[in-house]
Amino acid sequence: MPTGEAEWHGAESEVSQTRGRVFEALCLSATSIALVSVLVLLLYVANDAFKPLSADPGWHLVILVTLVLPAVGLALYYYRIDEPAGEVAYTVTGLPIVGFLLAGGLGVVFAELLAIDEYFALVIGVAAVVALLFAHTRLRPTAPLERVVLAPLLSIVVVFGTPPAAIAQFIGPDDWQLVVDPAVTVPGLGWHLDLGGFALTVPGLPYRIVSLPELVLKSPVLPLPSLQLLAALTLPIAGLAGWFVGRRHESRQDGLLATGLILVGGAATLALEPATGVAATTWLVVYTTTVVPLAVYVEGVYRRGQLAGLAFPVVLVAGGLAGAVLTRALGLAGPDVWLDWGYLTSAPNSDPALAGIYPALVGSIMLLIVVVMMTFPIGVGAAIYLEEYAPSSGLVGKFVTLIEINISNLAGVPSVVYGLLGLAVFIRWAQIPNGSIIVGGLTVGLLILPIVIIAAQEAIEAVPDSLRQASYGMGSTRWQTVRNIVLPEAMPGILTGTILALGRAIGETAPLLLVGIAASVRLAPNSFFDLGSAMPRQIFTWAFEPQAEFRYGVLAAGVVTLLVVLLVMNATAIVLRNKFERTNT
Amino acid sequence: MSTDTTGTDAATAITDSPGGAKRERLYRYLLFASASVSILVTLGIVFVLVTGALEFFGQYNPLDFFLGTEWNIDQHKLGVLPALSGTILVTVLSAMVAIPIGLAAATYLSEYASPRARSILKPALEILAGIPTVVYGYFALVYVTPFLAAFGLPVGTFNVLSASIMVGIMIIPMVSSLSEDAMSAVPDSLRQAGYGMGATKYEVSTGVVIPAAISGIFSSFILALSRAIGETMIVAVAMGQSPQLLQFAEPLANLFESNQPMTSAMITLVQAENAAGVIYQSMFAIGLTLFVVTFAMNLVSNWIAARYREEYE
Repeated sequence: MPTGEAEWHGAESEVSQTRGRVFEALCLSATSIALVSVLVLLLYVANDAFKPLSADPGWHLVILVTLVLPAVGLALYYYRIDEPAGEVAYTVTGLPIVGFLLAGGLGVVFAELLAIDEYFALVIGVAAVVALLFAHTRLRPTAPLERVVLAPLLSIVVVFGTPPAAIAQFIGPDDWQLVVDPAVTVPGLGWHLDLGGFALTVPGLPYRIVSLPELVLKSPVLPLPSLQLLAALTLPIAGLAGWFVGRRHESRQDGLLATGLILVGGAATLALEPATGVAATTWLVVYTTTVVPLAVYVEGVYRRGQLAGLAFPVVLVAGGLAGAVLTRALGLAGPDVWLDWGYLTSAPNSDPALAGIYPALVGSIMLLIVVVMMTFPIGVGAAIYLEEYAPSSGLVGKFVTLIEINISNLAGVPSVVYGLLGLAVFIRWAQIPNGSIIVGGLTVGLLILPIVIIAAQEAIEAVPDSLRQASYGMGSTRWQTVRNIVLPEAMPGILTGTILALGRAIGETAPLLLVGIAASVRLAPNSFFDLGSAMPRQIFTWAFEPQAEFRYGVLAAGVVTLLVVLLVMNATAIVLRNKFERTNT
Repeated sequence: MSTDTTGTDAATAITDSPGGAKRERLYRYLLFASASVSILVTLGIVFVLVTGALEFFGQYNPLDFFLGTEWNIDQHKLGVLPALSGTILVTVLSAMVAIPIGLAAATYLSEYASPRARSILKPALEILAGIPTVVYGYFALVYVTPFLAAFGLPVGTFNVLSASIMVGIMIIPMVSSLSEDAMSAVPDSLRQAGYGMGATKYEVSTGVVIPAAISGIFSSFILALSRAIGETMIVAVAMGQSPQLLQFAEPLANLFESNQPMTSAMITLVQAENAAGVIYQSMFAIGLTLFVVTFAMNLVSNWIAARYREEYE
């Protein structure tokens, strides 16, 4: 080898070092270019939605001094010196945000879908079913199969009345009606259901058993809506919080005390209506979703003595208030934002100044309700089967392998194709009204089902085998092990995966377009069978409005609304995952 | 129901009683049924697409569909070639954005990044995949197109280039995270052997790690391309509504004009005034084409990853 020296690596060390450095810099800049470009685009949208430059410079100065500087300073302190307190700080700041979003969601449900008295009656019905089943457990502990059959039957009869007539009445549109058809039924025995073009006649069944919620609704004396809410919403949450506190304190008394205090606090919010002019029910919803979780969390922080973190939200709120008071006193105009309360609560309009996203927001919330009700039970059930029950050999084993391959391939099918499936199956074949919320929800549900299954499978797989063995060693059956050991242990992971999948669902647009979800509606849907819109669908509609006010205003505000909802959902999921991972190790 | 396990006599009673065994079986069947739903979904998709497409081909000559160069919904001229050119354009252009950037990002994350930088960059890249695609479409239409126009490019309001750039950015996380997984799976002993031979980090990255992980990297490319083919909303918002054949005389003009791939052609079809009969069924023919292509690509990707994977102890 005549040129042996030059063949050695490192002989041209100078050159190869620069080459290596250039390569590293290239790789790093490629990584950042994607991130930076999207970040810049996000800043552009935020700028268009909030128009910060339209504010007085003095306004910026005041806000900088009262709010931004103290908050950044405190955040730096947490980051550098007191990291545990920083964690408390972000949880205690994030909890109310999640709480307010939940309150908004509940408010929308009560306003559009289920009036408070209907909700109250429904809760009473469900409570009755639970009580009956509990009584059955006590009276006939040796008949579990009977209970398995009894549970769905009781729920249908007690909660919905005679199936499916009352179900149709409960969730269906007004033109669905139940008529006694003398031609096919003996009077009082047998029913005929007319679902607007889709008729079903079943003779011989008792015509109608009135459900418990209907009885409650018809009763002449119903408590005030606020009291109904206190009983049907705050009481269960207070009980849950009390159980949690009691377990944390290892004292049943403390738990009961917590429940009592929360209820007293809830009753106290009723006094806020005359003082503020805002309805007591609104106060109660906000109290239950925001104040209660926050109080429970702060109590835990107080017990651990990590009070430094609690300063952060105080600084934020005090700084915000001080800024608001000062700017008002000095007469400094704030920015003229597109994304304000009026935008969130008004309907789409051809005048950009009046346009809002409320009906689409309601549609998206209802869509998510359908998606959760469909994918969560099926997805978790499938994951349990694949992880806990599925045999690995034989004919069934081959089928299971097929299912596993199929699930991973389904996740790669383009979303428009799911739209075609929904169009052909739900609309053309099952005759569900075109563009109704339920069709959109079912279609998007099919789309995210594989994602939910995969996430739930990962969570169940992460449960240590020793726990299962211990459970079997105690003589538990497979189902008892799953219900009492595997599911509780895997639930945080399953919830994280489901929330992330829902984040995907809320942004899906193509399937909604194919199943005819409305481009834009003036009135929010009131039932799952109503024609509705959804946030991404509304954004798509606005994208073709030629006016600049739409492109750089209304549309930007819609995009920011969607992204904020998504961000809060994903952040919740990630915090949940981090908390779970830490306690597990 | 909590007494099932807390009371010992109740628990033994259940496992001994015939009811308990029956309940176990019932739950097994219920769970099995929910696991089978995914098979039903696949069968449903195939059935719906195939029957729809067959009905369509009963009324419309398949040759006219697959080889037709004219697309006009009002005149019922439904040749798929123009929309196919749109799809090919978007896929190739977005691959030109996503493959180099994604591969470089994967190399950086797997070989160069400190654990701290990795813990920030990796989730940040995954956020890109979580942004709804209609939002990317909005970005392309409202910000990227005027930005390109400011550079003097003769782009129309709706154009191929800005939509493809956004599709490319959207699929970067797919390339980067799957390629990075493949590179991280290369055992350290191979890297140490490279260093022992006197190779620099650059030489080890490009000469040892990437070749060793090449099957995983290729399978990530194919998956990303299949995602680009199936992408709908970005192109529906930002690329226009008129499918056009590729113009070979002026290659660059293809990029600056509007076009429409198969996915968003389906959206136009479903929203057409007379969305019944042939128009309605043609969606299923396009959907079937799309489904077969992406499904085959996913299978090939899995096959490459499994077949050409280097096995290390």
